[in-house]
Amino acid sequence: MTFRTNYTVNRTPRFSLLSEDQKARIFRGVIKTLNDTGANVHHEKVRELLANNRCKVDGKRVRIPPEVVRDALASLPPTTTIYSWDGQEEMCYVEPGRSYFGPGPTPPNFIDTETLERRPYQRKDATIVARVCDALPNIGYVQSLGSIDDVTHALSDVYEFADMIQNTRKVIMNWAFSEENVRDEHRIGIVMAGGEEAFKRYPNFIHYSEPISPLTSDFDAIGKCYYCAQHRIPQVYTPCSIGGATVPATHAGQIITAMSESMVGVVVSQLLNPGTCILIGGVQSILDMRRTIYSYGAPELSIMSAAFTEMLNYVGLPMYSTAGCTDTKKMELQSGIEAAFSIHMAMMSGANFVHDNGYTESGITGDVFQTVMDDEIIGMSRLICGGVEVNEETLAVDEICNVGPGGHYLYEDHTMKWFRKHWQPTLMDRNSYEDWDAQGRLTMKDRIIKKTRDIIENHEGPISKVPNEAKKDIEKILDEAEERVRSKSK
Amino acid sequence: MAVDLGKMADLLIAGKVEDVSNMTQEAIDEGLKPQEILDKGLIAGMDVVGQRFKACEMFIPEVLRSAKAMSAGMDKLRPLLSESEAKAAGTFVIGTVKGDLHDIGKNLVGMMFEGAGFKVVNLGIDLDTQVFVDAVKEHKPDLLGMSALLTTTMPRMGEVINALKEAGIRDQVKVMVGGAPVTEEFAKEIGADIYGANAASSVDKGREAIGK
Ligand code: B12
Repeated sequence: MTFRTNYTVNRTPRFSLLSEDQKARIFRGVIKTLNDTGANVHHEKVRELLANNRCKVDGKRVRIPPEVVRDALASLPPTTTIYSWDGQEEMCYVEPGRSYFGPGPTPPNFIDTETLERRPYQRKDATIVARVCDALPNIGYVQSLGSIDDVTHALSDVYEFADMIQNTRKVIMNWAFSEENVRDEHRIGIVMAGGEEAFKRYPNFIHYSEPISPLTSDFDAIGKCYYCAQHRIPQVYTPCSIGGATVPATHAGQIITAMSESMVGVVVSQLLNPGTCILIGGVQSILDMRRTIYSYGAPELSIMSAAFTEMLNYVGLPMYSTAGCTDTKKMELQSGIEAAFSIHMAMMSGANFVHDNGYTESGITGDVFQTVMDDEIIGMSRLICGGVEVNEETLAVDEICNVGPGGHYLYEDHTMKWFRKHWQPTLMDRNSYEDWDAQGRLTMKDRIIKKTRDIIENHEGPISKVPNEAKKDIEKILDEAEERVRSKSK
Repeated sequence: MAVDLGKMADLLIAGKVEDVSNMTQEAIDEGLKPQEILDKGLIAGMDVVGQRFKACEMFIPEVLRSAKAMSAGMDKLRPLLSESEAKAAGTFVIGTVKGDLHDIGKNLVGMMFEGAGFKVVNLGIDLDTQVFVDAVKEHKPDLLGMSALLTTTMPRMGEVINALKEAGIRDQVKVMVGGAPVTEEFAKEIGADIYGANAASSVDKGREAIGK
């Protein structure tokens, strides 16, 4: 069968939850919701834009007809590249088939990396998270895992970004309280890129903001979305929908609601600036109806995120998904089980950006040790999703016949060439009992702590390469922001 | 035929809002004492609901439906209860502070208080300090609940407490605070009376604090 010699069969395992018919029905649900009921948009400028573009505006309510949704979907970019802050390296491609895992934004608390105690998130933690993520091979982009408590609260978002972008070359996903604060962050991104033109050519961050379930875009959220679209900043516009509380208790109903409220952002972004990058998706989980906790470890989170990913693939939108998070308070078996499950599900679903790796206590505490553990799990999952490579060389029939019965493969060139493709653990223990004993009987938790602290101690990140000029300019932006906040509170 | 208050309690447990409301009216029309309808019908039902919730036999949405039925019955009864009887049930005002749009946790707490027979005034979200002060003046509640889910908006709860002091009405009401990042410690710091970690436990704590 010579015609096959140049033909590689290498299927990526992907699972599919929804049939074509199911996808079509869910999508019709979105179209009908947007057309018949629409969403509340608490922003006059945005309502005006929508009214001028074939939407029906009645007070705060905006109804979006199917053709407007269709046009918005048609103008989405097939791919967007996001760069390291210096513009030197292509870091992320927002396109089908690419999955990047990262932490999540803004929990109030953090697990102190020295004492291991839970306490309010501090400014220094942003740098720690950025540097640790910079060193982790399977973390593809970075969020802070906290909201800084020991700076002017109204500017904790801006301080966080200012510090983080200097401590990693990976793409940062930032967040902000208001349009004003996104502007500050945008200015910081421009400084780091080396100017406005450079930033336009090499955008170096993604902005994250949230509409409200059910079916509401509040002033700040849609204002930020508007700003990002205007300036062609890649963005995420996704709710935290609570199944059974803020959206229906059924998964299909939840996806329809969440997709509809985010679609407002998609339409606004494409009307303002066709081809600008926007992701939707978000946290999709349920309210635990006994404890009234929004669960970050529920299997429902994974199945809904996977189904949502499939829906977005169907309409040509990139998915911002959720995984690697847990409802536990301290690192223990449950953290690992929940993280492994959700990470592998997200990977198999083919989601584009997967956040909350490092969320514990249902989103109340950020834990970079969890992120380090997740990095290992992501590596394992990625190997599985790489599939089985089948071609002339990997079939290895020549080698099999050469070695024949009873031989071994340890000397073979073929082995030399291929064994390094085997996945190597950095945390999983494969020692013999004796070695494990001799090395101090370390548990998974011990090894995670050790690895994390090693990184914190030894991995400096790019901070020394940040030009002094840029550092000064960023200080100036922060000072001006402080001044603005002071003058407002007068 | 006399209205069967035991059946009324069963309907309440089953969350039949309209049936409970209708049956309360029938009982009133038949001349049963309002206090008796309350004790043997509504409260008897809610007591079972409370037990079943604690025993993991009922879940929050079911409890809330029963609470709604309770409150529908209470709406009928309240005008007929003597002032002291009505006051005995208690009034609860709740809202989310300025700058904060988190809604659902606060609503859950309000609904649970409804289920405990309280008259509940839900002020909404993103509320100015003055709105809380005015509401305390207007509704004269036994309990004022404030919700904040952001570390940036938590201090607003302290501001409301100070404003109540300035208005000279701090002593008229017990203040209860909650929301994911709020802690017992913080509640003490700002001078709140009660911290509620979740909807179910806050009803018990609230009742205890006002002695009802
Ligand atoms: C859903 C959600 C949202 C939704 C809310 C939708 C809605 N309709 O309410 C939306 C999308 C609007 C949202 C927005 C934001 N959110 Co939010 N949100 C959440 C989330 C995921 C769940 C909250 C929830 O509803 N839980 C379920 C309910 C039932 O529980 P609960 O609210 O805690 O209430 C219970 C108890 O706390 C208590 N309780 C609550 N109130 C009261 C009051 C009294 C009197 C008593 C006694 C008890 C009590 O009883 C309730 C029932 O048991 C939390 C994370 C979390 N795990 O809490 C983040 C979270 C609170 N949000 C957060 C943030 C940062 C934001 C944003 C700034 C994000 C952004 N980048 O824009 C915006 C701010 C908007 C604003 N100005 O308010 C952070 C807060 C961090 C911090 N340092 O404070 C959290 C912790 C998430 C995180 N890890 O980053 N959010």
